[in-house]
Amino acid sequence: MSMPATAWWTPVALSADVPPRMVIPATLPVGPIAVWRSQSGQVTANHDRCPHRGMRLSHGFVRGEKLSCIYHGWSFGKEGGCTAIPAHPKVTPPASIHCGVMPTVEQDGLIWVASAQPDTAPPVFDQYQPLRMLNFCACIDRIKTVCDASSRDPATDTYVTATLAGFVTRLIVTPLNETETNVFILVSPDLSTDQKIAISRAAEVLRNLCERPSPEGQQT
Amino acid sequence: MSFPMQDEWYPVAMLSDLHRQGRDTLLLGQPIHAARDPNGIPIVTTQNGQHLVTIERFGHLWTSLGTPRKDLFSIPEADQPGRTLVDVGVVRVKCSPLRAVENFLDIAHFPFVHTDILGAEPHTEVENYQVEIREDSDEVWATKVKFFQPQAAKSAEGGITTDYMYRVPLPTCSVLYKTCPPRPAEWDVICLFVQPLTEELCDVWPWMALFDDETPLTDMIHFQQLIFLQDRSILENQLPRRLPLDPGMEVPTRADMTSVAYRRWLKRHNFTYGAQLVAK
Repeated sequence: MSMPATAWWTPVALSADVPPRMVIPATLPVGPIAVWRSQSGQVTANHDRCPHRGMRLSHGFVRGEKLSCIYHGWSFGKEGGCTAIPAHPKVTPPASIHCGVMPTVEQDGLIWVASAQPDTAPPVFDQYQPLRMLNFCACIDRIKTVCDASSRDPATDTYVTATLAGFVTRLIVTPLNETETNVFILVSPDLSTDQKIAISRAAEVLRNLCERPSPEGQQT
Repeated sequence: MSFPMQDEWYPVAMLSDLHRQGRDTLLLGQPIHAARDPNGIPIVTTQNGQHLVTIERFGHLWTSLGTPRKDLFSIPEADQPGRTLVDVGVVRVKCSPLRAVENFLDIAHFPFVHTDILGAEPHTEVENYQVEIREDSDEVWATKVKFFQPQAAKSAEGGITTDYMYRVPLPTCSVLYKTCPPRPAEWDVICLFVQPLTEELCDVWPWMALFDDETPLTDMIHFQQLIFLQDRSILENQLPRRLPLDPGMEVPTRADMTSVAYRRWLKRHNFTYGAQLVAK
């Protein structure tokens, strides 16, 4: 499996899964990140590691427009600079104390992050909206096979078309490593709640199918 | 293979819970068996039947894979009459044994990790304190440490400014002396004895010698376990998993002087089991 050589957008979460003052862990091909939304609604993605003692920032907390580490309360702003060290409240942290921030775009209900600034915007999925993200313990090729590889978008290779509970859906498949893949399910906005629940359950069945060992001798 | 840390002492069992059938465990990656012989004498054996040196002290059985240069350290205060000796038990932590000790030496995390118990905002400031590596005893000491605590001990009523002294006599052991609420002239003694199972896995045996006639033993143990389980949520989520001994990887401040001295002392002695070096 090869990673894109140039910087590219990776979907990391549904907008709805990161309400204001929430931080969550996510994974980019380059490593773990902390994705958080400030009180005012802006989304930021940092390296998931406090420069002080290496604690995961995704375990931290958001106050106002700052993300704080749960270990010693060091705070970081949206540009990644350390803004406060509670052990030394009278000291202004030097600019050298910094936690890497990655380009982030929120678009049509999805949060996209890139390890470096890509030349173009993330793909647009007209007529579809995100329903749910699932983590599959299966490689991307296995998922494409189970969903019928011929139905994937040949132009961009950004999504797979799958029929779930009788509805046509689009799956954004994002490999995390050789064995794990994040799958974002996009559906038509016209569906009822019951229909969305049916699709959600069908997606879990799809996951079980993908995680089952493939039949012997069959190439996946 | 020989390395400096194998000649040091390590806790491998709690004496009050050591029986004939014994305990299969690891020390510095090597399988060992700690048990009592038919006469009730504690013994530690390696896989090929070799008997290791042992010491019974501070409620625990201590051993070494090599040849210790000196006797296991002493804690004179713990021998004072009237103290309650508390075997807290064991907590397994998926972290470097050195990170477990370093976290024990840290006070700045109290308001955030032990919120409303050992610390609380806005009382986050760490005042200057004294740190030294004592050449005669070859131990790391931090003295004149002060911190505001909402509930410093099970016996404490309301918030007090607590005085601390920290001591590192062995690479994976630390002794903490702190204000004893019922007896202001004495120090409570709280120890963290860490058994390094591997470089990224340890069994932690907290042990205490307190002046406290009021609190039931069970409550004292629960209090210490609560505190340490809060620490575990940190220790299992630090990256890298091993303690970086070379500068550059992590950013210390004045509040981290004890940790800086501990890392320097580890490096000076080549105590690098559980450490990450740039050269590696």
